[in-house]
Amino acid sequence: MSSTTAPSGLARARRGLAPGGSGGGPRKLNEGLNRKSKLSGQTSRTFFWLLLPSVVLLVLIHGYPLVYAGVQATHDGSLIDTGNFVGVDNFATVLSSPAFWKAAQFTLWFTIVGVFGSWAVGLGLALLLRTKIPAGSTFKVLLLLPWVVPIVVSSTAWNWLVATPDSLIPALFRNLGLGTPLFLADPNLAAVLVMVFKVWVSFPFMMMMTSAALASVDTTVYEAASMDGATKWQQFTQITLPMIARSTYISWILMTIFCVNDFPTIYLLNGGGPVDATTSLVVLAYRKVFQDFQTGPGVAIAFLMTLTLVVVSVFLYRQIRKSSVE
Amino acid sequence: MNVQSEASRNFSRRGFLGLAAAAAAVPALAACGGGSASKSSGGDVIKFWDMPWATTAYNDAAKKITESYAPTGSNAKASYQIIQWNNFYQTFSSAIASKTGPAVSTGGGFQAFQFEQQGQIAYADKVIEALKKNGQYDDFLPGVLEPFKSDKGYVAVPWQLDMRVFWYRKSLFDKAGAALPTDWASLLEAGKALKKIGAVGFGTGSGAGNNFGNHSMIMMMVNNGGGVFTKDGQLDLLNDRNVEAVEFLLELQSNGIIDPAAVGYTTDNMSAQWKDKKIGYGVFQAGAAERIGDTSGDFAVASPIAGPHGDKATLVFPNNIMMYKNTPSQDSSEAFLVYYMGQLKQLWQQKLMAALPVFKSITELPEFASNANNVKIVKEWQPIAKTFASQGSTLNANLAALDGGQALNQFTQTILTGKADAKTALTTFQSGLQSVLKK
Repeated sequence: MSSTTAPSGLARARRGLAPGGSGGGPRKLNEGLNRKSKLSGQTSRTFFWLLLPSVVLLVLIHGYPLVYAGVQATHDGSLIDTGNFVGVDNFATVLSSPAFWKAAQFTLWFTIVGVFGSWAVGLGLALLLRTKIPAGSTFKVLLLLPWVVPIVVSSTAWNWLVATPDSLIPALFRNLGLGTPLFLADPNLAAVLVMVFKVWVSFPFMMMMTSAALASVDTTVYEAASMDGATKWQQFTQITLPMIARSTYISWILMTIFCVNDFPTIYLLNGGGPVDATTSLVVLAYRKVFQDFQTGPGVAIAFLMTLTLVVVSVFLYRQIRKSSVE
Repeated sequence: MNVQSEASRNFSRRGFLGLAAAAAAVPALAACGGGSASKSSGGDVIKFWDMPWATTAYNDAAKKITESYAPTGSNAKASYQIIQWNNFYQTFSSAIASKTGPAVSTGGGFQAFQFEQQGQIAYADKVIEALKKNGQYDDFLPGVLEPFKSDKGYVAVPWQLDMRVFWYRKSLFDKAGAALPTDWASLLEAGKALKKIGAVGFGTGSGAGNNFGNHSMIMMMVNNGGGVFTKDGQLDLLNDRNVEAVEFLLELQSNGIIDPAAVGYTTDNMSAQWKDKKIGYGVFQAGAAERIGDTSGDFAVASPIAGPHGDKATLVFPNNIMMYKNTPSQDSSEAFLVYYMGQLKQLWQQKLMAALPVFKSITELPEFASNANNVKIVKEWQPIAKTFASQGSTLNANLAALDGGQALNQFTQTILTGKADAKTALTTFQSGLQSVLKK
């Protein structure tokens, strides 16, 4: 009977050693290890030199602006002149400003509605398009249009639909006896409008992501579930959603970044108004830098946004890893 | 593996890495290299940057004027480049910071003062001297040059005037049986009459990118003898005349004389409302008839109205041409600017400009004088026009933060929606503006 236990034997086998032996004796083992270590060192050096140009480029392209932005956020200068060092004063000014917190609140709601609204619509349409419907491919292409059309065009179209009391949608409401809603003039309606516009612009992206994920789900799973008596709702919640969870989390991360950083959707439709009702953090940062010419506080807002996005992204990435393990 | 092949492999790897590093370094080094502002492979050139002030025909004509410039002596030739309004301040700032900016440019109304503050502007005193010699100095309309004179010299040279004036729809006034306003009281009465026929009595707008609402607010303050600043440039929003003006605007708003939807109107929305005969009377600019496509005479410039104390005034934005220190030759910049000022009349002769000229001789051109609205603005509005610096007279860098800034925009939207009383709104405006103005 060998003195070698089963687990340690397996470990040795994975390392290429004979049971009970040393794989050729200590000298050969050392030589092997030295050679391996030498090769490994060579490989590391090769990787290092191969990666260096890319790292240098990355530092130049991303690192320099980031560092310069850091400099601007801690100074009281302009776009041309860095100005005087003010430490964290710009961050303190921003964080103590009611306008910042109002914008942060709107950004939060805009992101929540933008992410989950577009996901819900995109998922629904992806499920619908998975069934055999006439001219399904044509519908797919048509449904992509809001994503494909430049925002400057679609925002003009939406403006035309809602801007004046005689525009199409307010006129429709009036004819239905629902009053004349002023979508761009009423702060609450303006906020709703901007969010609906964001969902409209974004659902095709979610639809495509979900369609791709659904295509990889094996249909025999549904057949098996059906034979086991699972209802459609149970199939949706117990099979479909878990099986597309990884793709869903990725799409949520991307859409969260898109929403938080979304400048044109808001700015082109109503410029963040009326009376700041739709001013998001990115719009506020733009105004600070380019309209109020306060570069430091504007860049400080951008830094705080980046920090928040990193935290949210890390949280959602953890969910992805969790869903992968499950 | 033999030694030779190992060496060969190392050589090729190093060679590859070297090439890769060189390829990476070339653009990086190129980017790091300081650019010379106005040098080209063909020698020194005065770079003239211009904005899209009107249709593309305008820029074509301006380009032609620039490229037709034949410098004398050792002066450099000039090149022309259009800079879009989107993020124009960033475009100029980045270019100036990297020393790749223009030698001469048009731009934002207060841009010259912003860059002067940062030491980037070349004063135009020698240009003014040259204009005195060639007779153009005396040709300036009254009061257009003074706002550019700082303690250190002329910061820029005005070349066109963007005026805010009242326009009206004759047919709507006829239909309402209302008389054209001559003062604030009659404006209120006319507004009420227009409202009865479903028309707007004080047309304005402050939606995305629309500054007419902001300008309407300041215009009414100035019209009442008030203004954002004192004569010596101190912030003075809470003076009695301003409060009175804002109270009047709120009265117009509460009576429905200002369109409740105006707060969301873009400039295009506002133009469409004028075109569709929804607005009977309101604030617009010179050339508005051409802009909305109604030159029938039904849409016309009204006469200035008097405030409750008899004051008459409006707002003007004197757009200007500035010179920068970063030039291959200051003499060349000055020579080009003097030449360009002398060619301006071509733009009005070709009817390319909506704005008003700064030279009396251009206002007398048949192509300009044949437009009754233009003549009325020059005759009745230009003499009473004041700048954003009012009650002060000299322009300055802070006005840029006032014009496009959030404090004024928020104030305007507050008034157009009637969300606060006059003093509260002005107090918020004052503190908002105070926080962004450079001391």
